[in-house]
Amino acid sequence: MRFSFFRGCFIPVRLPYIEKVSRLVLGELGVELRDIDGFTCCPEPVGFQIHDRFTATVIAARNISLAEDAGEDIITLCNGCTYVLRQVNEGLKADEELRDRVNDVLSSTDHQFRGTVDVKHFAHVLKEDVGVKRIKEKVEKPLLGLTVAGHTGCHIVSPVDVMGFDDPFDPVVLDEMVAALGAEPADFDLKTLCCGWTLTNYGDRESANKLVGAKLSAMRGAGSDCITAICPQCFYQFDTGQMLASRRLGLDFKLPVMFYLQLLALSMGYSLDDIHYRMHRVRDPGFEDKIGRLLS
Amino acid sequence: MALHAVYPSWDGSKALKEAAEICFKCGVCCVLKAHSCHAQYDGQFDPRHTFVYDCLGAEKPVDNPNLWLCVSCHKCEELCPYDVSPVHFIEAMKVEAFESGGAHTSVLSEIEQIIETGFAFPLTVSSARQREALELEPLKSTALGDLKIITEETGLRTKLRKHKEAEG
Repeated sequence: MRFSFFRGCFIPVRLPYIEKVSRLVLGELGVELRDIDGFTCCPEPVGFQIHDRFTATVIAARNISLAEDAGEDIITLCNGCTYVLRQVNEGLKADEELRDRVNDVLSSTDHQFRGTVDVKHFAHVLKEDVGVKRIKEKVEKPLLGLTVAGHTGCHIVSPVDVMGFDDPFDPVVLDEMVAALGAEPADFDLKTLCCGWTLTNYGDRESANKLVGAKLSAMRGAGSDCITAICPQCFYQFDTGQMLASRRLGLDFKLPVMFYLQLLALSMGYSLDDIHYRMHRVRDPGFEDKIGRLLS
Repeated sequence: MALHAVYPSWDGSKALKEAAEICFKCGVCCVLKAHSCHAQYDGQFDPRHTFVYDCLGAEKPVDNPNLWLCVSCHKCEELCPYDVSPVHFIEAMKVEAFESGGAHTSVLSEIEQIIETGFAFPLTVSSARQREALELEPLKSTALGDLKIITEETGLRTKLRKHKEAEG
């Protein structure tokens, strides 16, 4: 299966090692990623899309039109990109008048939105196209005895009718994907609470620290060895954000976070070095020992 | 589907008025710690004065800096038993603030960054080095001509220029 690869901004700029691992793992699962010249920022939902919806809709429609030209659905690595592109894709398919207004502007750039492709987060693709059975077949080193706190994030589950991924108040898909690797999904309080990334950007850092501290403590209290996330901003918040919060709050534990595709790579037999774990801000010897034993 | 999809013609001021009238101040949207609003973690809010009451009750909403704590996660919308949908009126207030030149500085700089480079984050030397070490191709800004055309036709570029001039 081949997709137009919308890698977004955050991963290629701030977390390029996640791009590297994602290309590797998705390729091994038979998901072919085609790079498209000309994709721009989706545009980002909280800073851009909200404030000028029409311009954001045109920019997103232009991005989608490039995948339409290639005749492929879009695959993303980010909850935010998926949120914007799916809203626009579904919105324009349903609203002919708006589609005409958008295409009027787009015609000056020689692009047109036609409504012929779908937009999927890689987790949609793993769930719907690859399937849990295929993931299980690729597991060479089951992560038995590893307890993993799954953080699904906000923008991939809401609005429910647009995102079509999971229940915002009782998400289970990521836990199923964790279980497929042989690991134990952690059952923890505050599971659906936001990672707090935006509090860090627009609010008071102390409040963001408090939120991350509460969430991490709940994960740790449930016996988690690590966290897994499917959104780069959530990942960053649990990595760099945890490091900053820990200094302030004096947390007496470290809980490494794995982008889900990194966790999947480990279960396929790749090492911590292969997934560029050394580039993480939060590393824990106990977690490393456990992974070392599982992979030996 | 159409309700959430893009709502470009959504009448924010009308919805705002209705929301303020309908909200029962039950607090469900903010005080259920396991599921609710992350902004409630900001120290100034408590169950008697929630983040959503703060936004709804502000005398001049566009001057309320707390607006920017909303991440549009839609949890308040899904939790609200009265279909007030706080996320929509908070977003409408943000639009009002943006239109009148009162948006958070991070918002303005992010929008400029995107339309001038195509990326939401600056392309740094450190990121270029990391990509090279990982044998990933270098990042480059593309489609800047298209972004210029689009933002000129929609009026966004003019709006940003006016805001800048107003700032002096």
